[in-house]
Amino acid sequence: MAKVEAAQYGDRKVYSVSAFNRGVADWLSRLPTVWVEGEVTELRRQERWASVFFTLKDPGDGSCLSVSMPRSQFDALRLDLGDGERVHVYGRPELFEARGDFRFRALSIERFGLGDHLAALERLKRKLAAEGLFQRRRPLPRFPRSVGLVTGNDAAAKRDVLTAITTRFPPARVVVAETYVQGPRAVPAIVEAIGGLCELDDVDVIVLARGGGSFEDLLPFSDERLVRAVAGCRVPIVSAVGHEQDQPLTDLAADARASTPSVAARLVVPDADELRERLEQTRDRLRRAPLLTVERKRARLEGTRGRLRALSPSATLERGYAIVRREGRIVRASGELESGTRVDVELGTGGFGASVEETRE
Amino acid sequence: MRFEEAQRELERIVQQLETGQADLDDAITLWERGEELYRLCSDKLDSAQGKIEELGRRVEAVKPAEPA
Repeated sequence: MAKVEAAQYGDRKVYSVSAFNRGVADWLSRLPTVWVEGEVTELRRQERWASVFFTLKDPGDGSCLSVSMPRSQFDALRLDLGDGERVHVYGRPELFEARGDFRFRALSIERFGLGDHLAALERLKRKLAAEGLFQRRRPLPRFPRSVGLVTGNDAAAKRDVLTAITTRFPPARVVVAETYVQGPRAVPAIVEAIGGLCELDDVDVIVLARGGGSFEDLLPFSDERLVRAVAGCRVPIVSAVGHEQDQPLTDLAADARASTPSVAARLVVPDADELRERLEQTRDRLRRAPLLTVERKRARLEGTRGRLRALSPSATLERGYAIVRREGRIVRASGELESGTRVDVELGTGGFGASVEETRE
Repeated sequence: MRFEEAQRELERIVQQLETGQADLDDAITLWERGEELYRLCSDKLDSAQGKIEELGRRVEAVKPAEPA
């Protein structure tokens, strides 16, 4: 370790620029070698330069890091990097002492392409799934007081969802939170928008809407911070991001997913026409119910009456039967009579008195 | 007499007659009572139906115009 000398002015220690830079450079050189991910921009490579320079940009918030690499090493990698390409750079920080410029000295560079992205997403997906973030399927309210809508300020997506909701249920109240839905500011902005809507007391459900876009455009919707915010949302949340074939992780963390604006509307508001129709049906049933009761009771009464009529003694007499009484009591067996007994016979119409001539068993 | 009471008594009479246990004089008395109960029930149903229909017509008359 180089000794950094300082001049002494009374009780003040003062370093020369050179000594200071050397000291910092020495300190930096002891930091570990690491991998850093970012997008390549401003690549500068010239035959007469010993090093190749580029800026590594964080796609999340746009933070920049100057990177240098010896030209011969860079050329040997044959990467043919284009502007905006995602790379992983292996290296360590260093200070260019002559200028006091801090930069990242690359030892190796690897392209981090779509396949790598997908693999990283897959790892994140497994990790969050293991935490149970994708298991929440709360029922959506049937009559939300207000619907929160998180959407970009691009007209199409917002209008599509709003139109779908108000067409289905005209009295719907929708609170719109416009925000960035792509680019480095999207994730914190959407997280904040969701949080803001959650603070409104009458928002009972939230729709997170974003039209279709490229894989890169939809990446914020697979960002761990946003996915966690969706999973932790106070009210049920519907993910209406991209098209059917896209499957951002917010879709998995949300309580429901909608592949189109009209599907989203169907999930969050009731169908006014259907409600009206059902109300009319109920009213019709209400009107019919009392008469049905009367009819049912009447049917039962008529049934009982039929049985009563069949039992009527006069009906039996009409059919040719006769009632024989002895001293006012009905005779049911020939054993109750003998020759000469006086009996009274009643017919369907009228009757007569008689005397028994003979009895049979 | 309430409709349900009359109906219950009527049904009890019919059941009693159907078993054939009652002697004839009782049977005739029961039968006459049954006919009386039937008329009572039937009148009550007629009057209930009349009231329901009347009410239905009145509700229909004050029904508000359907919103467009």
